[in-house]
Amino acid sequence: MSDAVQQFHDRAQAKVDDVSHRKKIRWAIDTYEKAVLRGRARFADWEAARQRCYEIRWEAINHLDRYLEQFEENVSKRGGKVFWAADAEQACTYVAKLAEARGVKSIVKSKSMVCEEIHLNSVLESKGFKVWETDLGEYIVQLRKEPPYHIVTPAMHLSRADIAELFRKEIPEDVKGETHEELVAAARRALRRAFFSAEMGISGANFLVAETGMIALSTNEGNGRLCTSIPRIHVVVTGIEKIIARTQDLAVLWPVLAAAGTGQNLTAYSTLIGGPRSNREIDGPEEFHVVLLDNGRSKLLADTEQRDLLQCIRCGACLNACPVYRNIGGHAYATTYQGPIGSALTPNLRGLAEFQHLSYASSLCGNCSSVCPVKIDIAEHLLQNRRNAVNQGQRPRAEEIGMRLWRWTMMDERRFAIIGTMAKIVVRTFGALATYPLKPWSRKRELPEMPKASFRQMWRKHGRQQQR
Amino acid sequence: MTKLVTLFVPCFVDQLTPQVAMDMAAVLQRVGYDLHYPEEQTCCGQPAFNAGFWGEARQVAERFVRVFRSAEMVVCPSGSCTALVRHSYPELLAKTAMQDDALDLGKRVFEFSEFLVDVAGVTDVGACFPRSVTYHDSCHLLRELHIKEQPRKLLRNVRGLNFIEMNASEECCGFGGVFSVKFPEISGAMGDVKADNIVASGAEYITACDPSCLMQIDGILRRREAPIRTIHLSSILANTEGSTVS
Amino acid sequence: MAVSSSDDRGAREQILANVRSAVKKIAPRKQVAVARPIFSAIEEDLVARFRTEAAANYIEVMLTENTNETADTLRKIVESLPAGEVFMQDTSELRAMAATATGERVVQWSSDSGPPEASQAAVSRCEALVAMTGSIMVSSGNCGGRGASVVAPCHIVIASSDQLLPDLESAMARAREIAFDNSFVGLITGCSRTSDIEKLLVIGAHGPRQVVVILQASS
Repeated sequence: MSDAVQQFHDRAQAKVDDVSHRKKIRWAIDTYEKAVLRGRARFADWEAARQRCYEIRWEAINHLDRYLEQFEENVSKRGGKVFWAADAEQACTYVAKLAEARGVKSIVKSKSMVCEEIHLNSVLESKGFKVWETDLGEYIVQLRKEPPYHIVTPAMHLSRADIAELFRKEIPEDVKGETHEELVAAARRALRRAFFSAEMGISGANFLVAETGMIALSTNEGNGRLCTSIPRIHVVVTGIEKIIARTQDLAVLWPVLAAAGTGQNLTAYSTLIGGPRSNREIDGPEEFHVVLLDNGRSKLLADTEQRDLLQCIRCGACLNACPVYRNIGGHAYATTYQGPIGSALTPNLRGLAEFQHLSYASSLCGNCSSVCPVKIDIAEHLLQNRRNAVNQGQRPRAEEIGMRLWRWTMMDERRFAIIGTMAKIVVRTFGALATYPLKPWSRKRELPEMPKASFRQMWRKHGRQQQR
Repeated sequence: MTKLVTLFVPCFVDQLTPQVAMDMAAVLQRVGYDLHYPEEQTCCGQPAFNAGFWGEARQVAERFVRVFRSAEMVVCPSGSCTALVRHSYPELLAKTAMQDDALDLGKRVFEFSEFLVDVAGVTDVGACFPRSVTYHDSCHLLRELHIKEQPRKLLRNVRGLNFIEMNASEECCGFGGVFSVKFPEISGAMGDVKADNIVASGAEYITACDPSCLMQIDGILRRREAPIRTIHLSSILANTEGSTVS
Repeated sequence: MAVSSSDDRGAREQILANVRSAVKKIAPRKQVAVARPIFSAIEEDLVARFRTEAAANYIEVMLTENTNETADTLRKIVESLPAGEVFMQDTSELRAMAATATGERVVQWSSDSGPPEASQAAVSRCEALVAMTGSIMVSSGNCGGRGASVVAPCHIVIASSDQLLPDLESAMARAREIAFDNSFVGLITGCSRTSDIEKLLVIGAHGPRQVVVILQASS
């Protein structure tokens, strides 16, 4: 077993043993589930909504070249600048150089998983820029110096008491109390100073609208609005797959994203931004940059079987639906994207050899596929990753031999019957002391009882008379 | 319509839980079917398929299709195995000589509760089981075969049976085949959550249509020494007035 | 700002080449015939629907019959706020109302600058209202700028009932119409909020914690 896989096991074990952690996650997800049921009920036909969202994203991804060029042209017409980054390094370098050239000292950021993916904050901070995460959950994990726990609710693993303690330590002058409201107010006070002094605002984008050269941003707190209104430079860091064709597509995508993500009818701020302020506008940034990131996406695009993974709208529904995620939480994955979509996507973006174990850490229950609002069959993709790992010879030799033995056994019913009988004798004799394959089972569970006769034996004895 | 049913007995049912298949056979006979058991059968190929070893799975699947090629109606006491044949064989055997046979076989293979309710048109099999029972919705049964009401209809018609819906009946029990031993810490935690919900239901028995789920659940309940027993749907349905309820 | 030369655009040619070559092969597409509409039709009166939806998201809606009532309602709201400046979108109607509505307070007009950080309220028009979701559509060009709807803790919108659109389909069609004339178009569906702490909803995060729509009946 490789180090990375062993560490995954260790983290998973630590998390499942942590009862208070499991309780917090269960609470958060139960709250989410009730909200989502209300959210879906607002649609006359949720399945029709899913199909429409699937079609919108399918069209965009399968004609990505056309729409990317259209998007770039329209951004440029508005006076914005598009920079194409092949990888994380190119993207970070562009942003850092821009900040340097413009005399930026501090930066306010609204939530962006793509920025997490390229580790933008650490690059900027290493170059001396002060970076403020302004989404409350992101701000909290930034103060704790840990990665976000969940793509939609970054501080899902923390209680109010945890956060109160954190704020008392980090921003004592802003804390006036410890209720939920007072903690939010404390963060507001601290971050407001940042909004009004930062020279640059960085945001992600939920969608990129090709037709108009605008980015679409769905937020609730208003931090995204402030990041993109007050500082004089606005930089968008986003993946090339976020494209949609038309503004009209948002009439379905926005409410579906809100329903699946948080159970709302729409997020409080559903925003379209295109370019810097125009001459006749009174406020807004003077510069607008869009960094389009590839970082493995165009390669995944070429795989027609797995391409639809790029249709993901990052709603987080699959994370909340996943019984594995519910028990091990977001940090155990140790990847930017966690949960089912992360397990399916990461091997394709970052390499099967290193990340295949995530695709195996699943019972393939299929709940993710059933809740995905853009109808990605995520469970099927996990299975395809496993098949690809096998076909590329990346499984342990012992497993390959085991499978060949299994096949040899199953190709003949007498062989199968004899081996089955022998195996049961071994287990009956040695019980829980039996070899390695059984220890992982019996650590937490009793072994099943080994019956004396098989069905075929019983049928021959008792059942055969009945058959034709 | 034919009254002959061919029994598809999954490999682990054959070896580890044979009574499940015997009970299924007894119920099918009681509702008027003649039975045929092709002894050549071994396995549908699910372990290799789920592990990504599609080459090995394909060979075993092709053999399976040949064994059952002339069977008019095939009935299986396992949702996951039925789902593999109906849902995954077309993909596994795509572009092979057996592709059409596989597609055709998928239309003729039924999970046991689905067969009784949707094909035989029976919801009351004359069973008696005077106990409180809760039910676990197995994942492939629910999400690939879309079987949810059929087991419930059958259980509600069992004399004396008090049916209790548990909380989160649709959440995975954590078995997942080889997943249960590859990632035992996660599998065990998922099983814990399922066991908690089962215990909280207050039922005396937990049933399901998948013996593999029941094996996982049973392992955890017995480790806890919980007073709840696991029982396959077919064993409940096979129980009649006068039989001993163990 | 002019479009820069190609090497200033990074790995554009390489990425586009990869994308073009990838999409030469079309991926399979799930075809499902969908007969039923995604959303239920709006049966009721648009004003009634707007009020219900807005209230669910903590937006206050106040109905007025004419400009006098609107000015008076505005005055009452402003009086209830803590002392401090008020930012107002510079339009002839708002200029007319300012004297009565804001009393002694200093008014910052949008023609001079954006809303000051310490303003207690921002008063603006809107592009449209959306009945189905209880949303307010604003833009940077016609509603006092980008900051008007987010800087001050109280955002007051002066709207008229003929600005009501039934649903999101009509709202996004309107957004598309005004897209090229504005660098920002947004839908506001509630006060700013967060559930980041224990999934408990807290109203009033970084944006306004009070949003009021004064909805004047159109003649």
